[in-house]
Amino acid sequence: MAEVVLKEVVKHYGAHIAVNHVSLTVGDGEFVALVGPSGCGKTTTLNLVAGLIPMSGGEIHIADRLVNDLDPKDRDIAMVFQNYALYPNKSVYKNLAFPLQMRKLAKPDIDAKVKEAARVLDITHLLERRPRELSGGQQQRVALGRALVRDPAVFLMDEPLSNLDAKLRVQMRSELKRFHQDLHTTVIYVTHDQLEAVTMADKMAVMSGGFLQQYDAPDMVFAKPVNTFVAGFIGSPAMSLVPVQVVRKGDAVWLRSVDGWEFELSAENGHKALSATSDKVVLGARHSTLRIHKSAEPGTVPGRVYIVEPTGDVTFAQVKLGASIIIVSLDPHFPIAPDEPVFVEFNQNKLHLFDGETQMALAAA
Amino acid sequence: MTDATFSSRAITKRPIDWWRWSGRVFLVFLLLFTVLPMVWMVLTSIKTQFAAMQYPPQWWPAEPTLQNYARLLDPSNSVGQEFLRYFWNSFYVALTTTVIGVVVAVPAAYAFSRFRFPGRTFLFFSVLLRNMFPAVVFLMPLFLLMRWLGLVNTHGSLILTYLTFGLPLSIWLLKGFYDNIPIQLEQAARIDGATRFQAFILIVMPLSSPGIIATSIFSFIGAWNEYVYAYTFLSKQESMTLPVGIQRFFTEFATDWPGLMAATFLMSVPVVVLFLVLQKYFVRALTEGAVKN
Ligand SMILES: Nc1ncnc2c1ncn2[C@@H]1O[C@H](COP(=O)(O)OP(=O)(O)OP(=O)(O)O)[C@@H](O)[C@H]1O
Ligand SMILES: [Mg+2]
Repeated sequence: MAEVVLKEVVKHYGAHIAVNHVSLTVGDGEFVALVGPSGCGKTTTLNLVAGLIPMSGGEIHIADRLVNDLDPKDRDIAMVFQNYALYPNKSVYKNLAFPLQMRKLAKPDIDAKVKEAARVLDITHLLERRPRELSGGQQQRVALGRALVRDPAVFLMDEPLSNLDAKLRVQMRSELKRFHQDLHTTVIYVTHDQLEAVTMADKMAVMSGGFLQQYDAPDMVFAKPVNTFVAGFIGSPAMSLVPVQVVRKGDAVWLRSVDGWEFELSAENGHKALSATSDKVVLGARHSTLRIHKSAEPGTVPGRVYIVEPTGDVTFAQVKLGASIIIVSLDPHFPIAPDEPVFVEFNQNKLHLFDGETQMALAAA
Repeated sequence: MTDATFSSRAITKRPIDWWRWSGRVFLVFLLLFTVLPMVWMVLTSIKTQFAAMQYPPQWWPAEPTLQNYARLLDPSNSVGQEFLRYFWNSFYVALTTTVIGVVVAVPAAYAFSRFRFPGRTFLFFSVLLRNMFPAVVFLMPLFLLMRWLGLVNTHGSLILTYLTFGLPLSIWLLKGFYDNIPIQLEQAARIDGATRFQAFILIVMPLSSPGIIATSIFSFIGAWNEYVYAYTFLSKQESMTLPVGIQRFFTEFATDWPGLMAATFLMSVPVVVLFLVLQKYFVRALTEGAVKN
């Protein structure tokens, strides 16, 4: 059972707090993706789990063992580094054999395991080469192989695909996913590519500024972002967020923008909006939940098309509602031109409301 | 039309050629400047005493002889004994300086490169402080220090001095090497089951061997050639090193030019051999700098 548990883990660099009281549990055999913008503390968190840097506070348990004071070598983990970190002066064979040699396996066993890993990863023909004689994709496989030979309890991967070109990345993504399905080893996977996270991970941990923002299944993170940061980070293109004001008109609750437009909320959304700490809320809507009308209809708000971006399958239109820009996805055949006046309809069942002060998602009371 | 293209091509080409040729001429001149004295040294060393003194000089010795070398390398006569003792003294001092230098510089450079500890910057620059002054400034202070330590007339005084002068450069050079070795390599090794020390020995050391070899050559040559300190610290004949000892030859056998030249030639042999054997690493150390991922 290789469960990884982080309890209130803290890492300071001088006055800077790189990891701030992060607690999360990675279940046995789970594939967890650590996502977040650059500098949010993903690598630091992973290095703490690996034991490569000392912790400033908190506890880490791997497979029911407190590992705070254990050396990396005693934690039964394997790691794939962003720059692969292959030993440049060793052949591929020796790179793969190194972890086994360090664990004092017998020569024939080492040979068998290296050959098996090389076969699985389809790098048998490269065994005698040096890392610098390999392509990026091949190096990536070797790095993966060096982690696989030992069959560790936990795999740690730090952006293992980020140095590959787009096509290879997609291919390796599916291969990694298949490996995980076959091996069922616990994986903690750092990436800043949320598509990787969404497609591969059982759970997703979204970090920002050293804090763990949300930890949940990818579809839940997508459907119920806990705050404006997660809402604006997850999804491609991300959710449009517009600061608005809550106004009561008799029993009805309306949202009004400083730019003048306003629309009425459904009863449920009205409840949510009123639970905010002030009358300031942030309205969030994903591109697929918005509809464009050519003429004013009840409940729509007026805007002006800013940019039209066809991608083939869908066309994204950026629409200016006063000063804010929202993104709407459209059928590629939908006739639309820049600077055209349009009317945007919000789907009341799928819009998100966040507290304007705390930035947290508002829930129906 | 063809004429025009021809001439314009000639015009565009000429300045490049001119530069290239002036460069070549300069290099040839430089080569002659450095090689000719050595050629003359070798030629003189195989002349007889008489031939060496002739004027106009014999460009090519009329009766070349290896007798001077035989005399220097023959331990059964007093000249040979003396020369071989100087040679051995120099070798001992240079080798000990090099070995101790590497043993100290490698961990020091590694620590400067990898660890953040209080006073790190201060220490690093104080290491370089020595290099801001010409070596001769330290002659008297160091002599007094050595006398106080009772090290005058011992090889220890020279080894200590050469270390003082050689270590800063070694540490500085090696630190550059370690800076360029990605820390992830060590981290990977530690995850793969190595201790910190094993990661250093098994992964980092082999990668920095060109740097270690380069610094070794530097400190060996420095110690091998040094004259002023050896002249000041050593007065007993049996402990002298080659540069000082050869100079004694010079005064004792005042006119023995061939003998002196033969001794000088023999003195340059170890350095040249060292360079030829290790030059591959040396060039790599100075050009490549380190491992690129
Ligand atoms: N050795 C260090 N000394 C000081 N600060 C550091 C050190 N390592 C990381 N940091 C800081 O800690 C924060 C988190 O760094 P970390 O490398 O974990 O980011 P990351 O999420 O992996 O980013 P990226 O996506 O760019 O790799 C950053 O602000 C960084 O500047
Ligand atoms: Mg990182």
